[in-house]
Amino acid sequence: MVNYILRRLVYSIPLLILISVIVFFLISLAPGGPMAAFEENPNLTPEDIVRLEEEFGLNQHIYVRYWKWASRIIVGDWGYSNVTHKPVLQEIGERLPNTLQLMIVAFTITLLIAIPIGLYSALHQYSLFDHLATFLAFVGQAIPIFWFGLILIIVFNVWLNNPISPSHGFAWSHFTHCLDCKPLLPGGGMAPYGVDNPTLGQRIQHMILPVTMLAMFGMGTYTRYMRGQTLEVIYQDYIRTARAKGLSERLVVMRHAFKNALAPVVTIIALDLPGLFGGALFTETIFSWPGMGRLFYRSAQRGDYPLLMGIVMINAVLIIFFNLMADISYAYLDPRIRYD
Amino acid sequence: MSRTTRLVLILTLLLGILLLAACGTSQPATQEKPTEMPAATEAPAQQPTEAPAATEAPAATEASAPTEAPAKPAEPKTIIYGLYQEPDVLNPFIATQYAADEVSKMVVEGLVDVDPDGNFYPVLAKEVPTIENGLVSEDGLNVTYHLKEGILWSDGEPFTCEDVKYTWEIITTPESGAVNTAGYDKIESVECPDPNTVQIKFKEFYAPYLTLFDSVLPKHATEGSTDMTTWDYNTTGLLGTGPFVLKEWVSGDHITLVKNKNYRDYPDKPKVDQIIVRIIPSREVGKALITSGEIDILWDLTEADVPEFEENPDVIVHKRPGPGTERLLLNLADPTLDATDDPLNHPHPLLADLRVRQAIQYGIDKQLIVDELLYGATTVGTSELSIGWAKCDIPPSEFNPDKARELLDEAGFVDQDGDGIRECHGCKYAEEGTPLRLKIQTTSGNQLREECEQLLVEMMKDIGIEFYIENVPSSELFGSWASGAFRKHGHFDILMYTTSDKIDPQSHMYGYFHKNSIPTEANNGKGFNYVRWINDRASEALDKAGATPNLEERKAQYQIACEEIAKDIPHLYLYDRSEIELTRANIKGFKVNPWGRQTWNVEDWDKE
Repeated sequence: MVNYILRRLVYSIPLLILISVIVFFLISLAPGGPMAAFEENPNLTPEDIVRLEEEFGLNQHIYVRYWKWASRIIVGDWGYSNVTHKPVLQEIGERLPNTLQLMIVAFTITLLIAIPIGLYSALHQYSLFDHLATFLAFVGQAIPIFWFGLILIIVFNVWLNNPISPSHGFAWSHFTHCLDCKPLLPGGGMAPYGVDNPTLGQRIQHMILPVTMLAMFGMGTYTRYMRGQTLEVIYQDYIRTARAKGLSERLVVMRHAFKNALAPVVTIIALDLPGLFGGALFTETIFSWPGMGRLFYRSAQRGDYPLLMGIVMINAVLIIFFNLMADISYAYLDPRIRYD
Repeated sequence: MSRTTRLVLILTLLLGILLLAACGTSQPATQEKPTEMPAATEAPAQQPTEAPAATEAPAATEASAPTEAPAKPAEPKTIIYGLYQEPDVLNPFIATQYAADEVSKMVVEGLVDVDPDGNFYPVLAKEVPTIENGLVSEDGLNVTYHLKEGILWSDGEPFTCEDVKYTWEIITTPESGAVNTAGYDKIESVECPDPNTVQIKFKEFYAPYLTLFDSVLPKHATEGSTDMTTWDYNTTGLLGTGPFVLKEWVSGDHITLVKNKNYRDYPDKPKVDQIIVRIIPSREVGKALITSGEIDILWDLTEADVPEFEENPDVIVHKRPGPGTERLLLNLADPTLDATDDPLNHPHPLLADLRVRQAIQYGIDKQLIVDELLYGATTVGTSELSIGWAKCDIPPSEFNPDKARELLDEAGFVDQDGDGIRECHGCKYAEEGTPLRLKIQTTSGNQLREECEQLLVEMMKDIGIEFYIENVPSSELFGSWASGAFRKHGHFDILMYTTSDKIDPQSHMYGYFHKNSIPTEANNGKGFNYVRWINDRASEALDKAGATPNLEERKAQYQIACEEIAKDIPHLYLYDRSEIELTRANIKGFKVNPWGRQTWNVEDWDKE
């Protein structure tokens, strides 16, 4: 096993190099380029632009640029953003905690809801509950996630007021037009603006809508997985044996069916984990959440290749790592699998 | 099976640890910023003012923490300003986004500024130098500013002529990385006979001289490194003489500015305690947030955003015609060639014939575009200089499809194969049989522009011209010469976008319409004359306009240039753009300024 892990780790080195080469060259192929942002500015003379290109090293050949980037990264120097001139690791460090806060809460809630629903659906196949859960799972998958986010804002931020706060009396909706009314739920951001030390309650309030949006999307997938896996398991011989032994239905389900059905789902969860670090672009964008997804998008838009490469490489490492974890978990969960 | 439980346990633990880590780091994340602020160690003098600023802030927060208690009066008066673009850097000499100026203008001031009517007014200077008041020499080469007395930087250091001189010196240092240096290189010297007098001597006359020094850098706080890009000043260390001081910048989320205790009008102004610039993802979300009152001011809307707010008493629409004009750029040179410097011998097969360009103009119902797509909220485009002191007087073009057809017939474009599209039969430049088919391109994902294209396609079809749409992302359209952008290299038929002249139109007019501004291999892509228009009369007028400090004379020369453009139609003006902002009804003192930043009078903003 140790041999296997070591071998996989060694293999991952050429893989990472290959990823970095491909991504680096793809970025430079993208039209526009890092200078596009400067080009529209009437205050910039072409001389300024030539000088900037030199400063960023853009006038050098792509091979030279890649080599420079790679030789720095080897010694742990991630470089500086072309756009903000801040260190790449600082940029990422400012955003990563925000992303993890949102994604982990959303992911945990998704699993806590989806797995019991999937299990219950399978055990009561073709019941009303099962049909409803299936229907909702497909709805969650089918609606465009950004549209759903906007609807959440319109309903909970624009239409509905917080009926407790206003001096105005009872005013549920914004149609009553009161200037000091407060929205029911905040429409974005991580905490109220202008408050120096937001309370936990305020932070939670700000998470409700984005978490709902993420959970709505993720729930469908996991419900379907859990339901499918359980259905596969409960018709197995050993379940029949367990029942024949005279075990109570609860024990049959929890000890034999659930555990076996969960095993493949756990692997899928492990594969989804690197995604938590990448953030969710749509959710972060709609709810002004300062996370990794938006950082990635901005750097792609602005052709900020040092930052872009930094994010991509961190993600690549995480994906390789969690893939390895998933493979190892196979071995643990299913003793028939051996890696030698 | 115990293995399974163990693994599930491990994974749950891992999740839990990550969760804890996230919560743990998010707590200090907000604390982190204040500690970063004093990291502007180059400015030890900053400490004293940091202290009084800090003493007020905790007082305010302590009061605001138990909000349920009726401690209302202590709550800081806050205006939340929604920007849909996050500034990268705030240093006005490095920043390239309009959003950056919106923020930095609250902190950084210049010698003079421009009011909404397009007039210069003194800010740090006592008066605007002109020939009449003797502060500008007859030849325009010597300009003198008298500075207001007793002005302090927000850290308490005095503001003097040395700061102005330093600003010029640092940004013209090649390794500084400054990008907005146009005009500063025309200065020969900046002298300081006394701390409150600035004497600027130009090497050659520079017409937009008043636009220089619209920001002044603090010498004492930035001295040391000549590489500006590494300064703390660019982000959290921003320091100025303006009404507000930068307190906190949470990347991707918000920027907090609190009032400057050393501001010259303190404590009368600024009228609010803090401005929070909130970074919002898009105009759409911004519109929802201003409706619900989560933000107080929303920046930069379009005409199409306005109608839904006209019925809403909680929100006020602030609108004013701006300098921008949406136009079509008609390529006069052969688009298959790379950046030709000889458009006269390598003409565009279809567009080089003036009659075709005239026909396109006659075929466009500009008023219909304004009424249908912009809700009648603007005017049809007529010229490059639609507002301001140099405004050109050009009558609107006529909508006359019959005349358009006549011109096309005359130019040798007739539809003989009956497909509804004219083709060349004896036309001037194209090969026999070439269909009158033109590619129109604009930035993709812009609904207004895409709808406008649809209308244009219909209108052109009506006169027998086929427009076909091929939109590209804005970064591709506006790409640089070095990246091979097709606009710069002249590989297009028709482009559609907005560009705006500045308060002094010289660099814009020269850059877009002078015959020396055609980007070619020889000049390394310099200039914006992408359509490769060569007109000697216009070029001469622009040369003259840039060579005299006499405003009347300059205005007359711009009029000549505008008339030549109207005659030759290298650019076809569709509609004028307005500067539009929204505020909540309880925000007072907000005044749209089409010439620059909406925060120009932020010290007068108030909230009831």
